[in-house]
Amino acid sequence: MSDTSSYSGPAPVARSPITPGPTRVGDGALSLNDESSVGKLLVHAPVDGPMAGALGTRFGRTAREAGDDTLVVGSGPGEWLVVASVQDLPKLTTWLEQQGEGDPGLVSVVDVTHGRAMMRLTGQAAADVLAKLTAVDLSDSVVPDGGAFRSSVARVATDVIRDDSGGIATSDRPSYLLHCERSSGQYLWDAVVDAGGEFGLTTRGATS
Amino acid sequence: MMLVPCPWCGPRNVAEFRYVGESSARPDPATTSASDWRTYLYTRRNPCDWIKETWYHRMGCRQYFGLERHTMTNRTRPAESSR
Repeated sequence: MSDTSSYSGPAPVARSPITPGPTRVGDGALSLNDESSVGKLLVHAPVDGPMAGALGTRFGRTAREAGDDTLVVGSGPGEWLVVASVQDLPKLTTWLEQQGEGDPGLVSVVDVTHGRAMMRLTGQAAADVLAKLTAVDLSDSVVPDGGAFRSSVARVATDVIRDDSGGIATSDRPSYLLHCERSSGQYLWDAVVDAGGEFGLTTRGATS
Repeated sequence: MMLVPCPWCGPRNVAEFRYVGESSARPDPATTSASDWRTYLYTRRNPCDWIKETWYHRMGCRQYFGLERHTMTNRTRPAESSR
């Protein structure tokens, strides 16, 4: 994912739909961060085509190259979510479109940065918080690090992405990215904050 | 609670799905009669037995798939070509 062409234009502006409200400060063992401002690309392509090979992962799994901030999520059959910094989006889009030109099937690359909300829940109790909101088994054997699924979280269709290595400060704690439609972002944030209250959740709003 | 076996995601709560309806063979619009077309659009068998249905996993993989369901017990099983 690092073979991108040069781009010197201004970085796109990305605004979060979430107003975090009063900051909750727990003991730091469990945190919820608004990461809506990161870049998000939605890619549709044939399941077995060259584009799928270039993206390097499949439905239900994620891929992150060592030292690379770009996270590729197999969010559905023939559907990928590419998460990267906003500054990298133009180059990444160009690179993805080049890969798509070699695919005989229908390929689309859409920037959904402004259309989606994203937050990161990190901590040993993260799965316990999510268990209050979704029916999917979150044990390590079902959703290990690098696993992903889409399901109802607080009755909102949400991509749940286990991404421990992208967590804050440490990599030994489970970390989940929650990704949903922008219009549901505030509601999902409030639902997670409410569910995490008993676990000492610490919240932090968008950083950019 | 009813669990629906999605061929992509596994068993999930029925609330994640949209029920599309009983599956039936679509007649050729160029050759069918108005009566047969109306039957295809609006008439359902609704038996007390196994029927083949189409479901849509709207909160998961967002795929349409086939499913067999017993209308009396709500037991489900994958259709022969479920994807």
